[in-house]
Amino acid sequence: MSHCDPVTLEIIRGAARAAQAEMEALLERTAMSAFIREKKDFYTALFDANGAMAVGSDLPIFGDIVAPVAGRFPIETMREGDLYWYNDCYGSRGAVSHSNDQVFLAPTFHEGKRVGFVMGWAHFSDIGGLRPGSLSPDATDHFQEGIIIPPVRLARDGETNEDLLRTFWRNSRFPTQSQGDTRALMAAVRLGEKRLSEMAGRFGPEVLEDAFRQLLARTEATVRGKLRQIFPIGTTRFADAIDTDGHGNGPFTLRLALTRTEDDRFIFDATGTDDQAPGPVNLLMHPDVPGMALGLYVLQGTTGQVLNAGAPHAIDEVRLREGSLLAPKAPAPLGLRGLTMMRLLAALHGLVAVARNGEAPAAHSAYVVIALRGTAEGKRFLMSDGIGVGYGARPFADGTDAVYFVAQENYPAEFMELTYPVRLRAYGLNRDSGGPGRFRGGCGVIREFEVMADEAMLAVRIDSVKNPPWGVAGGMNGGSGRAVVNPGTERERILAPLSDGTILRKGDVFRIETGGGGGWGHPFDRPADQVLADVLGGFVSLERAARDYGVVVREGTVDEAATAARRMQRPATGLFHRNGYRDAVA
Amino acid sequence: MKPELSAPLIVAVDIGGTFTDVTLQDAVTGQAWTAKTPSTPRDPSEAFVTGVRLALDAAGRRAEETGRVLHGTTVATNLILEGRTAPTALLTTAGFRHVLEIGRADLPRRDNLWAWVKPKRPVPPSLVFEAGGRMASDGSELAPLDEEAVRAAARAAKAAGVAAIAVCFLHAFANPAHERRALAILAEEAPDLALTASVDVFPVVREYERSMATVLNAAVMPAVSTYIARLETRLEQAGIHAPLLLMKSNGGVAGAAAIGRAPAQTALSGPAAGVVGARAVAAAAGVENLITVDIGGTSADICLIAKGEIGLTQTGRVGPWPLPLPMVDMVTIGAGGGSLARIGADGALTVGPQSAGAEPGPACYGRGGTEATVTDAHVVLGHLPPSLLGGRMTLDPALAEAAIARVAQSLDLTLDAAARGILAIADNNMVGAIRVVSVERGHDPRDFTLVPFGGAGPLHGCALAELLGITRVLVPPAPGVLCAQGLLAADLKAEFTRSIAEPLDGADLARIEAAFAALEAEAIAWFALEQVAEADRRTRRVALMRYEEQGHELSIPWTAPEALGAAFAAAHRGLYGFDLPEVAVEIVTLRVEAAGALPAPAPSPPHGGSAAEAMVGRQRILLPGGAVEAPVLDRARLGPGAVFPGPAIVTQLDATTLVGAGWSGEVHPSGALLLTRG
Repeated sequence: MSHCDPVTLEIIRGAARAAQAEMEALLERTAMSAFIREKKDFYTALFDANGAMAVGSDLPIFGDIVAPVAGRFPIETMREGDLYWYNDCYGSRGAVSHSNDQVFLAPTFHEGKRVGFVMGWAHFSDIGGLRPGSLSPDATDHFQEGIIIPPVRLARDGETNEDLLRTFWRNSRFPTQSQGDTRALMAAVRLGEKRLSEMAGRFGPEVLEDAFRQLLARTEATVRGKLRQIFPIGTTRFADAIDTDGHGNGPFTLRLALTRTEDDRFIFDATGTDDQAPGPVNLLMHPDVPGMALGLYVLQGTTGQVLNAGAPHAIDEVRLREGSLLAPKAPAPLGLRGLTMMRLLAALHGLVAVARNGEAPAAHSAYVVIALRGTAEGKRFLMSDGIGVGYGARPFADGTDAVYFVAQENYPAEFMELTYPVRLRAYGLNRDSGGPGRFRGGCGVIREFEVMADEAMLAVRIDSVKNPPWGVAGGMNGGSGRAVVNPGTERERILAPLSDGTILRKGDVFRIETGGGGGWGHPFDRPADQVLADVLGGFVSLERAARDYGVVVREGTVDEAATAARRMQRPATGLFHRNGYRDAVA
Repeated sequence: MKPELSAPLIVAVDIGGTFTDVTLQDAVTGQAWTAKTPSTPRDPSEAFVTGVRLALDAAGRRAEETGRVLHGTTVATNLILEGRTAPTALLTTAGFRHVLEIGRADLPRRDNLWAWVKPKRPVPPSLVFEAGGRMASDGSELAPLDEEAVRAAARAAKAAGVAAIAVCFLHAFANPAHERRALAILAEEAPDLALTASVDVFPVVREYERSMATVLNAAVMPAVSTYIARLETRLEQAGIHAPLLLMKSNGGVAGAAAIGRAPAQTALSGPAAGVVGARAVAAAAGVENLITVDIGGTSADICLIAKGEIGLTQTGRVGPWPLPLPMVDMVTIGAGGGSLARIGADGALTVGPQSAGAEPGPACYGRGGTEATVTDAHVVLGHLPPSLLGGRMTLDPALAEAAIARVAQSLDLTLDAAARGILAIADNNMVGAIRVVSVERGHDPRDFTLVPFGGAGPLHGCALAELLGITRVLVPPAPGVLCAQGLLAADLKAEFTRSIAEPLDGADLARIEAAFAALEAEAIAWFALEQVAEADRRTRRVALMRYEEQGHELSIPWTAPEALGAAFAAAHRGLYGFDLPEVAVEIVTLRVEAAGALPAPAPSPPHGGSAAEAMVGRQRILLPGGAVEAPVLDRARLGPGAVFPGPAIVTQLDATTLVGAGWSGEVHPSGALLLTRG
């Protein structure tokens, strides 16, 4: 095999990144659904000739994308111009973990030789199922969550099977959007295929192959080395819980154990996790996910590294228990697995916090999604709104306020009012939702809507209400979210945080408040002028500044004497904080 | 604004970090003079006028003969990028106090979720004030403006010591009445402050982006106004009574009065001027499809020009901030002469985006830099002459070698392999960006001529072209100071826009016609303000269209309504490779583009002789196949029609051109150097 020198390796990495940027630009500009083009819920990746993801997106949730296709269509039978497609969660062992995510995969050839694969991945806003948007807290069965596409060959030798597409579109309540999104995603994958093939031509297929091999090996070595720095020999444990499955059950506890053996093998064990839920909060977790997620965490601050399939290789063994929340049996519903995923990511940081005595990010809230559906002026509408939350404070910085997830954007109020029968009455930060700390947890948001349609049905998905995001190293927990209808009126009612089927009428107001992130470090160590700025900026209330931070603000300035006096009475702390300091959160 | 015989001189002033360059041209004869003077960062107007005087002296002309003064200013850009804007307040719709803080609630796609720290907003939420009152998306008033809240905000903002107040209310693009009224109240309450409303900056949908544009506009207004006033005073004192025109990010110029009201329009004017200059150079050489690459010390700006038309975008950014004003559609990447080559703990070699900057600069500058840069790699490979800037700066090859040697040792490479590797990585990063620009515009780069400029551009032109499959490279006559050329070539330009949201099928044509007429009335008022003669006025109607529910619009020149659908479908196919015949099309925004033609100066033809006559020496270049003694040619002595083969080095005051092996050079009658490959 030809060796790829370090210079060519960096050139190939740059070319791969540029190919991704081109694919993303094309997709964003041509997709039709707001979910893709405004919220930007799409990702791309390049794979080596055997299907290992060599250059991925900086997203902690990818599993083995190619294997499900290769299981049905042996790789050696693939031909130039082929295009494969699936969204089958159980059929892909969790490579896709809810059916709205469509994976398009093209094997890529250069002079007749397979040199790799290109993936385009995007969330389609409606693919049929129980309710518009296909994801509903009410689902009790995966078959209610939209049409399932097993790994299929959408194109052979460049010839697209239009019947397959027509069948798919026919199952959507918004076939035009689905059609536009499909075309955009296919065009993006074809562009990536062209670029990867050009790379093989430019550098030679053998050099490209070796470059991908090196990128995978480099990531694996870096991740493994960093994990060794973090985790001592022995077993590190952390557990946390999601509140509910929306069907009266819960909490459901995730119990994680990471063992580093004497001979430096890493074993990830989640078999102690609670049983699967009747409601759609099950996370069919691909065994690659813990490695990808820890990989993203430990790769921060490294330049020239890419998150790829090398990261999961740094974990030698992943143990899951079939029938548990992280390895549910079909056909358990999966639609809202996002909240379990977000809780899992925080729990992985919990492992780091335990191993390093608090040198880790505090917990974040799970991003919030609501769906409002109905008919307005004779047209069916679906408003799926992803709403930002607060992320955990870090040993070096405050947690991020009001962010949804990597790369995903909110809908501007002006866009919403132009597009959907709603009016946005307020959109601001949720004061006091950021966990107090030397570094403050990020604040969640408040989004208040007035319904302009005659009637509409609302679904909400908010987690970490009973179990707010933990603080660490002296930092306190973040605030919880909630959903309220007609707040401040006689008709005020609090909705179950994970619920569907709420009927709203014209003039009804509903207010979504999202949770924050936990704090890091003792809040009494936060400089008083930063606390003052938080008070003046609407992040922290006067009362909480005094109570949690020991900072007394009067008439817009810090009362130094009163603050010094308060800060003398410094409470004792524990490693974690959730409704009080403690050594473990669940 | 025809050149009067009594005032035929055009002056273009470009203020850089180190030098202020002035070009003086006689619009009638085409004769040109240049002057260079050290910049005066504390008060840039000082060097401005010094430079103009020097140029006038060099030409032996009187100040009164000046007919117009053109200038590209980076005052606004630098304030924004360095976070030094004036203390500013924002007045927003009740309920939206955190509009800037939340932004689009996103985290950049290429950043690490756990490491990213949100950039500090130019206005903190403690200086954001809310006022009740509400417009609907169709422009109807839902609730009247709470005027008392506006007054209270003005008082509070004044008490907080701000220098400017920005006003941005929801849906103001559909009905600006509340913004107008609020502005009037603020003018009563706070007459000394700089005031700006979003409708006067750019009335487009999306409140975060529009609020940010308005805030940035307000926040740079005090400094830009002061700067312009000072320039005008100094010009008056120097006896120059000609109008002062400033470059905008859209590639056009506007009068000082218009810029004073909307200074954010200059935020990306520097790179825009270069692009306009490159287009002028290309046009003179008969080239209308070009890709420009402007490579400076820390970054490269890339722009694609098809059929002579510079594309505009409304999704540009300045630093981390979106700025939805019409600006030349280009991408900027962190690759330049000062880009640092570094090796990570894991052995990965990267080049940029970190840069050695102007201080200490590349190792070979001998100003204390020790890390290897792109420029050092060029020195090691023999691409640069021993001194630059006409001998004002000498390069130390030993220092360059020492810096590159450290990289070579870590990677177990030879010195020249390491140097070549650093250049290859930098070139590759630029090629990636060029491809993105091309795909976004639906073009194949091989159909284009590459126009490299900026101090480092012509060193990379041939290598970039080879990677892209481009066979023609056009090097401008003065590639290092092309911004001045752009200023001389720019027309007066402005865009007038209204969001409208009409389905193409069954569009309310009367409403559209009325909107266009209103926009054209605005354009006429602007023409009058800029004193554009009737004969020089041009307007064009453009519809921004998309498929229903798409996120991006395409600009389609307005035609008969029944032909618009086909024009849109064809444009979509051309750009993206497909169209969607069964999907409805929407007209989202109407735009009137106004241009006031300024007389282009006559070109000044080059003089000089053959390549043999221009040869000033030979220099050892390290090619992959071994070392060759390449000729060094003096650009100033190369006359029209001179031809020579590569490899060769062409030196001139402001840049060095590397003509690759397998390329040949020819001086075009316009003075540009055309490099072609077999």
